[in-house]
Amino acid sequence: MRAALGLGGRLLRAGGRRGLLSAGLTAVAVTVCTALLLFAVSANVAFAGRGDREAWRNPVPAKGRAVAVQAVHVDYVRDRRITVVELAALEPGAPPPPGLDRFPAPGEVWLSPALAELADELPADQLADRFAGRRGGTVGDEALVHPGELVAVRGWAPDSPVPAGKGADEPRGEVASTRISDFAGEPTPDAQGYRILALIASVLMAVPLLVFGGAAARLTVARRDQRLAALRLVGATPGQVVAMTAAEAVITAFAGAVAGTLLYVLLIPALTGIEIAGGSWFAADLWPGVPYTLAVLAAVPLLVGLSAVIGLRRVVVGPLGVAKRETPPGMRFVRVAVLLAVLAVVPTLSVGSGGGVIAVVLGLAFLSINLAGPWVVGLIGRITAGTARGPVRLLAGRRLVDDPRAAWRTVSGVALTGFVAGFVVLLNPSADLLGEADASRLRVSIPAARADAVAAEARERLAAAGVRAGTEVTGGGGEGGGKVLVVALGVREAGAPGKAEAGEKAGQGEKTDARVDAPVDAPVDAPVDAALVDRARTALDGLVPGRRATSTADDDRFGRLLIGDIGTGTIVVLTVSFLVAVVSAGITAVSSVLDRRQTYALLRLAGTPLKVLDRARRAETLIPLAVMGGGSIAVGLFCALPFAITGLDAGGLATLLACVLLGFAGVVGAGAVSAPVLRSVTENPAPRPD
Amino acid sequence: MTSVVLEGYGLTKRFGPATALAGVGLAIGRGEAVAIMGPSGSGKSTLLHCLAGIMKPDEGEVRLLGQRVDTMGERERSALRRTRFGFVFQFGQLLPELPADENVALPLMLGGVSRRDAVRRAREWFGPLGLGGMEERRPGELSGGQAQRVAIARALVTRPAVVFADEPTGALDQTTGHDTMRLLVEATRGGDASLVVVTHDPQVARWCDRTVEVRDGRIMAGVDA
Ligand SMILES: Nc1ncnc2c1ncn2[C@@H]1O[C@H](COP(=O)(O)OP(=O)(O)OP(=O)(O)O)[C@@H](O)[C@H]1O
Ligand SMILES: [Mg+2]
Repeated sequence: MRAALGLGGRLLRAGGRRGLLSAGLTAVAVTVCTALLLFAVSANVAFAGRGDREAWRNPVPAKGRAVAVQAVHVDYVRDRRITVVELAALEPGAPPPPGLDRFPAPGEVWLSPALAELADELPADQLADRFAGRRGGTVGDEALVHPGELVAVRGWAPDSPVPAGKGADEPRGEVASTRISDFAGEPTPDAQGYRILALIASVLMAVPLLVFGGAAARLTVARRDQRLAALRLVGATPGQVVAMTAAEAVITAFAGAVAGTLLYVLLIPALTGIEIAGGSWFAADLWPGVPYTLAVLAAVPLLVGLSAVIGLRRVVVGPLGVAKRETPPGMRFVRVAVLLAVLAVVPTLSVGSGGGVIAVVLGLAFLSINLAGPWVVGLIGRITAGTARGPVRLLAGRRLVDDPRAAWRTVSGVALTGFVAGFVVLLNPSADLLGEADASRLRVSIPAARADAVAAEARERLAAAGVRAGTEVTGGGGEGGGKVLVVALGVREAGAPGKAEAGEKAGQGEKTDARVDAPVDAPVDAPVDAALVDRARTALDGLVPGRRATSTADDDRFGRLLIGDIGTGTIVVLTVSFLVAVVSAGITAVSSVLDRRQTYALLRLAGTPLKVLDRARRAETLIPLAVMGGGSIAVGLFCALPFAITGLDAGGLATLLACVLLGFAGVVGAGAVSAPVLRSVTENPAPRPD
Repeated sequence: MTSVVLEGYGLTKRFGPATALAGVGLAIGRGEAVAIMGPSGSGKSTLLHCLAGIMKPDEGEVRLLGQRVDTMGERERSALRRTRFGFVFQFGQLLPELPADENVALPLMLGGVSRRDAVRRAREWFGPLGLGGMEERRPGELSGGQAQRVAIARALVTRPAVVFADEPTGALDQTTGHDTMRLLVEATRGGDASLVVVTHDPQVARWCDRTVEVRDGRIMAGVDA
C-alpha cells in the first residue's frame, strides 16, 4: 500500500501541466462536494441541537418526587412570539433550569437577550410592563432555540394562580402546569417535524453530491486511462494499476476534502443568517462536530477512490479496452426498469408513511434517475445522430452514443436539480391556505362566573392605557362554561365585533347577545397598528391569570412560519443542487475537451472551424439537458404527488421556472469555461498525446 | 516540369531563440509527390505547417496557385485547409465515436454537402483503399493501417489540390507502412492531387517524385526523380 501511495503520488506529480490541471479540477470538485456535504450533515445536527435546547420547555410530568411546577405560555409582541416559562419551586433544592444560574425566586423575571433588548427599545406600555418584577438575570444561549428568540422565565410562589392554574384548551406551544422532577423535558412535536423536513432536505442535497463526487473521481481516471493502459501494456499487474489509481484519486480527494472543510467553516458565519423557524442560528449549531467532520473527511476520499476504481475496471480487465476505444456495449434497459419499479412504489406512499420510509424512497428515486440517465442519454444520442443533417448534430449525437455516461455526468446535476425542483414545488403550500387573519380583534378566555366583572375591568384597563376598543363577551355553554372576551381595537367606544364569523371563531360556540353598550358594526375609525395591538395586549396582561389576549392572526402565526420555512428550505436545497449542477457541468465540460484534445487539435489543423467543434460541444450538453431536465422535473412532480398539499400555485410555478432557467443558464455559462480550453488545446500546432 | 501548385520561398520561422526554418524555398508541381526527409528537429514539420497555412512564417511567402496564403487571416486559412488541402497525420486524427464512413464524410459535410451525399461519396473511397466492409466500424475497431487508410480517404474526399502527410506511417510496422504509403501515393495521383510527405523512411521516399533534405532549417539537396 505504501508503495502504491508513493507511486500514485509520483504519477500525480509526473502528470505534467494537463495532469495537474485535471487533478486540480478534481480537487475543486471534491472541495465543493465536501463543503456542501458538511452543510447537509450540519443541517440535521443543527435541528437536533435546537430540539434539545428547546426540550426543557416541553416538560415531562414527574414520575417520582416533584420539585417544581412548570407551565409554558405563549405571548406575542409585534409579529414575534414570546415563550413565557412560569416556574414555581416546590422545595428549596429545586435545580436551576437551563440558561439560568439559579432557580428563579417568586416575583423574579429572567429575559433572553433579544427580549431584554426589545423591552428596552419599545415603550414600556407595549412590552416591558408585561414583565414587571425583579429582573433576575439573562436567559443563557443554552436555553434558547435561536439567538434572537424571545423567552421570559418567571418565578412564582407555589400557591400563586399562574403556574398552578389549569387551562382548558392550550393553544399551540402552551403547556399546562406540570409537576416536574427535572428539566430534561422532551423535544416538542414541532421540533421533531422540523428534523424530518431537515432529513428530507439533506437527502435531496446529498444524493446529487455523491453522484457528482463519483463523476469527479472518474475525472482523474479519464485523464489517466491512456497512461494506465500503457502501464498495463508494459506489464503492470491489474492490482498495481488499481492501487496506483486509487492512491492518486485518494490523495487528490483528501486534499479537496480538507479544503472543503475549511471552505465550509468559512461559510458558517454567512449560513447562520438563514432564518428558519423564526430565527437564525448560533455558529455552533452549524458546526457538525468533530466525529461527523472526521467521518466526512474519511468517507469522501474513500468514496472517490472507490469510484475511481470502478471507473478503471475497463482498463484493468484488458489494457486494450481503453487504448483501442472499442464500441462501448449498449446500456441495458434494466436501468430504466429500476426507475419504473421505484416510481411504481411512489403512489403507495402518503404523508403518514413515516419520515424514514419517505426519505428512502426519495433517495431511491433519485439514484434510479441517475441509473436511467445514461440509458436515456444514449437513446437521445441515437435519435440525434440518426436524424442529423449537418456536422454539428452528427458529432453531438455520436458523442452521446459513444459515452452516454460522460454526457450524463455533464447534465446530471441540473437534471437532479430538476427532480428536486419538481418535488418541492408541489410540496410548497401557499399562504392562501390560511385565509385572512385579523390582528385587530384580541380575545381572552375568561371565567364565565365573573364575565361581567372581568369585562368591566378590561374596559377600565384599556381606557387607562388610552386604547380605543369595543368589547364583547361571547361563548359559554360548552367546555366548562368558559367565555371569551372579544376586544375590537380601533372601534369608537365599546362596540360589538362586526363580523359574525369573527364572533363564531372567537367564541367557539353560539354567539350570545351579551353585547356591551355599543352600536352593531361600529366602524373601525382609528388605525390599528402593531403598537396599538401591543399596548392593548400589555394592558390586558394579567387580567385573567395565565391568559393572554390573542388574535386570529396570532393563531395563524405558526402556519405562516412553517410555510415560510418550507419556502426557505426549498430555496436552500435548490441553491445547493444548483451549485452542484453548475460546478459539475463546468468541470465535466472542461474534462471532456481535455480528454479529446489531440483529436480536436488535429481536426482544427485540417481546417475544421473551431465554431463547429464548439457548437457540437454545446449541443452535446444542451440536447440531453433539455430532455433530461424536463424528464426529471416530471419525475419529481410525480414523486411529490402523494404528499402534495395543494396544486401548483403561481409562486411554485415561478420557482420551478426560475430554477429551470437558472439551471440552463448556469450550465451554458459553465460550459463556456471550456471554450477557452478548447481554443488553447487546438492552438498547439503539433499536438501529441501526452 | 509541370505547372506549380504550391510554392514557398524565403520561409523563416523562429521559436524564441531557436530558428526552426532559415530561409527555405520549395515549389510543388501539379500532381507531384515530394518527400521531405531529415533528422529529427531539423524543421520538417515546421516547413509542412508553413506550407499548409497552419503556421504563419516569420518571413517569406507561400502561394497556392499564385495566391498568397501566409498573409491570410486564420479564418481564411482554415477554410483553405478545409477545401483545398488534405491532411494525414501520424495517428489520432479520426473521431473515435464516428464510424469510418462518417469520419471520411465529415470534411464534405463541413463544406455543406448533404449528409446522404457526403456519406455516399465517402464510401466510394473504401473499395479502392482496400477498406470494403469496414464502413461502419469505428476507429477503435480498425487496425493501425486500416485507420490510416481511412485517414487517407478523408484527406482525399474533398478532392484537394495538395495532400500533406506528416510521418503518416510512423506508427505502423514497416510492411504495413509501405503498403499504406504506396496507397497514399497512388491515391493522390489518382485524385490528381499533389503530395507533400514528411518521412524518415528512404524506401517511402523512393515512391515519390522528388526528395527534399532538410537540415537545421535549410534545404540541403533536391533530388529529382
Ligand atoms: N511550438 C514550438 N515551440 C518551440 N519550439 C518549437 C515548436 N515547434 C518546433 N519547435 C522547434 O523547432 C525545431 C524544428 O521542429 P520540427 O517539429 O519542425 O522538427 P521535425 O523536423 O519535424 O522533427 P521530427 O522529425 O522529430 O518530427 C525544433 O528544434 C523544435 O524544437
Ligand atoms: Mg515532425
